[in-house]
Amino acid sequence: MSNTDIALMAHLMRRAGFGATRAELEDYVEKGYENVVEDLVEPERCDPVDEDILHRYFGSFEAGYVEKWMYRMIRSKRPLEEKMALFWHHVFATGVGKNQHLLASARQIDTFRRVGLSDMREILLELSKDPAMIFWLDNNENRKGEPNENYGRELLELFSMGVGNYTEDDIKNCARAFTGWTFAQPPPLYPQGFYDAKFVFLEEDHDDGEKTFLGHTGNLDGDDIIDIIVEQPACAKFISRHLYNFFVADEPQVPSWHVTPPQDPEAIETLSNAFMESKGEMRPVLRTLFNSDFFKEARGKKVKSPTELVTGILKLIGTYERPDPGMGKYSGATTLMGQKLLDPPTVEGWHTGREWIDGGTLTERVNFAVREVSDASRPGIGEIINRLKAEGRALAPDEFVEKCLDLAGPMTVSDTTRESLNKFAESGGDLDLSADNGSEESTDRVIQMLQLIVASREYQFA
Amino acid sequence: MGRPYGLLRAGFPFYKTLGMRRLTNFPIDIALGKEGCLYILCRNRDASTIRKYHIDDKDLGTVGRGLTWAVAIIADSEENLYVSDEAKHCILSFDKDGKELGKWGEHGDEDGQLNGPAGIAFDAEENIYVADSLNHRVQKFTKDGEFISKWGRFGDGEGGFNMPWGLTVDELGDVYVADWRNDRVQKFTGDGEFIFAFGKSGSGNGELNRPTSVAVDEHGDIYVADWGNDRVQLFNSESRYVQKFLGDATLSTVAVEYMMTNAGPNRLRDMADLEPQKYFRRPGGVAVNGDGLMFVADNGSYRVQVYQKQAVPLTEEQFSAPRRSPTLHQE
Repeated sequence: MSNTDIALMAHLMRRAGFGATRAELEDYVEKGYENVVEDLVEPERCDPVDEDILHRYFGSFEAGYVEKWMYRMIRSKRPLEEKMALFWHHVFATGVGKNQHLLASARQIDTFRRVGLSDMREILLELSKDPAMIFWLDNNENRKGEPNENYGRELLELFSMGVGNYTEDDIKNCARAFTGWTFAQPPPLYPQGFYDAKFVFLEEDHDDGEKTFLGHTGNLDGDDIIDIIVEQPACAKFISRHLYNFFVADEPQVPSWHVTPPQDPEAIETLSNAFMESKGEMRPVLRTLFNSDFFKEARGKKVKSPTELVTGILKLIGTYERPDPGMGKYSGATTLMGQKLLDPPTVEGWHTGREWIDGGTLTERVNFAVREVSDASRPGIGEIINRLKAEGRALAPDEFVEKCLDLAGPMTVSDTTRESLNKFAESGGDLDLSADNGSEESTDRVIQMLQLIVASREYQFA
Repeated sequence: MGRPYGLLRAGFPFYKTLGMRRLTNFPIDIALGKEGCLYILCRNRDASTIRKYHIDDKDLGTVGRGLTWAVAIIADSEENLYVSDEAKHCILSFDKDGKELGKWGEHGDEDGQLNGPAGIAFDAEENIYVADSLNHRVQKFTKDGEFISKWGRFGDGEGGFNMPWGLTVDELGDVYVADWRNDRVQKFTGDGEFIFAFGKSGSGNGELNRPTSVAVDEHGDIYVADWGNDRVQLFNSESRYVQKFLGDATLSTVAVEYMMTNAGPNRLRDMADLEPQKYFRRPGGVAVNGDGLMFVADNGSYRVQVYQKQAVPLTEEQFSAPRRSPTLHQE
């Protein structure tokens, strides 16, 4: 099994999932890259997470929802399902801060998990009927004769096509088509907790007059609008660029896309073609993406989101095989790093790429990673130590560095970083993990080396 | 008093609702105290507490802290409380005012060690049976945590378990275990000898979906919290299905008092379909007392629902001999 294969598989699992343990990577390599891609895009091949176990330990309904989601991210055998739920959460950013209805926000993520790998028509239809989204963009106040254009505008600008591909009249008629798409009032939080909000179509609030949208005229309703959107090459390009930004390499922030061309137009073209050919089905597009050269060559071209950083560390330390109350602290960790799941700052979502990093968030990221790898009793750390022991000999300082970089990623680092790591390794001489030669001290050295690695600049990138 | 020869089941109406969000958050189990007192175990996200409560819907405050993932609570004859904590792999005890009395149990799979302890129950001598959930077995201890015996293993045959959750001991000393992931209840002697099992996966009458708790009343009737089906089912002492409870909650007294000063929620309730509010949502523990009251920890709805059993014991003269076959003949 070559290191190149392991490194490529690690790249795939960081992007299409949330990382993988070394043992998992070896199993995946054994299976073959393209077969693993198939398992990812066809998640029904693998067992789902046991919902009963999640609810038994973390609580039912909205209780502990983010913990449950993060547990899914690190334990699910269907990692792309969770990654697509996160992707759509980025694109269709909806904040619980406005609705204060945690259950509705949780249900929205459940919907993204359920339909996230289906086709764009179904995804936009579910989105348009989602109570958390309806309330977020005021479609519950969008009525015949007194339209509220908020959802109609963002559907076109941020969720499907991007600025420059429609007119103000298109927005107005789009909004008219969604009049009456609302939800039934759920009972209030007090005294018995959240109850589901459910989509309803109110005929009496719907504007059934003639509308013209993107050149199509008729008594259009929301379904028709979505059909028309999904047929647009602009939709294919917009979603392709989102996918590229999320899975391949950081693009500038979405609001600048209409003036800043993509860094790799050919890649966007390739993905757009797959989108158009499949009439908006996500699986063929993602299959194309993960098997492409532009994806395979994109290692280190993305700053990890806080969620990716935290879950990646949890995969590295190999813990939480079962639900554990300790999971609760990790939602707080991503929040401190600038990503409060279920509560993006605006409808634009989180600003990604280098905007994840500032003085404060970088400190949080580094401190978190260093703290988590410092415990030799963590299964993943123990596994790294065991693999180093299994070498059966003392490792020279440069080998010590190389092996740790390999087992922590594999990671490629700059000369500057390598020089720092070598300097630390050389300060202790050869690494000897055999019991007769002070293995406790050597174990500490391994942990310190891992701490330096996860604190490196390179570790901030996926 | 022995069990009746037969039972005239007159009814089992809803009696009242206790608690509300903030007071009784995510109730997972209930221990019955004296003089109308109950101890509601509330399992919150990172910390669990014991809420002392009165059947007149009076909150008497929090009496137990320091719990993480608490699962079950029982009260001994002196009204001291014992609580299982599946995160800490131990049993904690408190007096009725919340003073911690002790803690025993350590993580592991040897005799006397625990891995995710869930249901707990006293026998007549106040020994404690523990559903040692992740070890897929039942263990018996003294009240102070001294190991006495064990039975069970992972599996779905007789005496096999898959993550057992609740358990109870009847007045005859027999032990009933909610075999959570096998969707059944198993009955054993106090020494672990298998007697019978009932229930299978499903949502039909008598079928179970992840049962969490089991209780037995003075008539030998068996109550099962059918968590995944959002209901409680009643079986007779021979495990024949009798009826189900889906929930009939009304607003508790404290909830009504709360709502009287909250105009916004009152308007929202007026706009909403309230029917779902009466149903159970993921019932946790079920407990019964000598007055025929059944208490259900309505976990997802922050409350306890109480039902009143109405049944008259029958003598041999009032209850004809068992029949093997149904009949249309009217006697």
